[in-house]
Amino acid sequence: MPEARWTWAWGVAVAGLLLAGTAASTSPAADAPAGRTIVIENLQFNPQVLAVKAGERITWVNKDLFPHTATAGAKAFDSKAIAPNAVWTWVAQKPGTYTYVCAFHPTMKGTITVQ
Amino acid sequence: MKMKFTAWSGVLVLAAAANVAFAAGPTDPQIAAIVVTANQVDIDAGKLALSKAHSKDVKEFAQLMITDHSGVNKSATELVQKLHVTPEANPTSASLQKGGDDNEAALKKLKGSAFDRAYVDHEVAYHQAVLDAVDTTLIPSAQNAELKALLIKVRPAFVAHLEHAKNLQSQLSKKGA
Repeated sequence: MPEARWTWAWGVAVAGLLLAGTAASTSPAADAPAGRTIVIENLQFNPQVLAVKAGERITWVNKDLFPHTATAGAKAFDSKAIAPNAVWTWVAQKPGTYTYVCAFHPTMKGTITVQ
Repeated sequence: MKMKFTAWSGVLVLAAAANVAFAAGPTDPQIAAIVVTANQVDIDAGKLALSKAHSKDVKEFAQLMITDHSGVNKSATELVQKLHVTPEANPTSASLQKGGDDNEAALKKLKGSAFDRAYVDHEVAYHQAVLDAVDTTLIPSAQNAELKALLIKVRPAFVAHLEHAKNLQSQLSKKGA
């Protein structure tokens, strides 16, 4: 499936650009956090639990064959539908613990702790 | 009760078809036909439910089935084309199609919450049956590595859909009738 491969590669490339962009804009230090990635695959968020620092950029990459969301309660964040091979990014600003689900597949759960 | 019996007999028919028809296991072209038919049958049921379901939760579930199974079929079709495999109809794909046709015919006679319950009961039975077929017949029989990988990749969706359908089933039964 050349088309699907291409799209997947494109999604990864976009994720790469986003991550590279963050690294460039946040700090010139080589070991500065370049942002974090959560892979959505097999109806799971991986890693399921993630701790980040306030101001860090989190990118969800959907590697499943159908759309998912990353939706937290209390209006913290809601990606809406992330298409297959697409990415969505959220910058964690306010410290706290955010539990989130996929609004389409309620069995999918994740937690982000912003320090 | 009648609905439950109907759903269960569907599972038994499918399980029997999956196990008996392939003493030596289905070939890759046969597996391709089974995968495409299994998804299409559930897309068709979802479309009917989207127009006829009473509860909002059931409608949302129906839309999810259409979206997810369409996504799976898109990938399956792309893979089949890439591998130059022509899906080959077989007793299991025929049984799935007949099960889907019978289900639609039965659902079309129902309305309101009776429709919702019958649709969801069938979704539970259908996902359980397909999951069993994926585990016991399709994954072990698939020869091509990419076809096997696709089956392994879609398996969690059937698990999640089954759990979702079971939750709906218990919600609907609590509402009573």
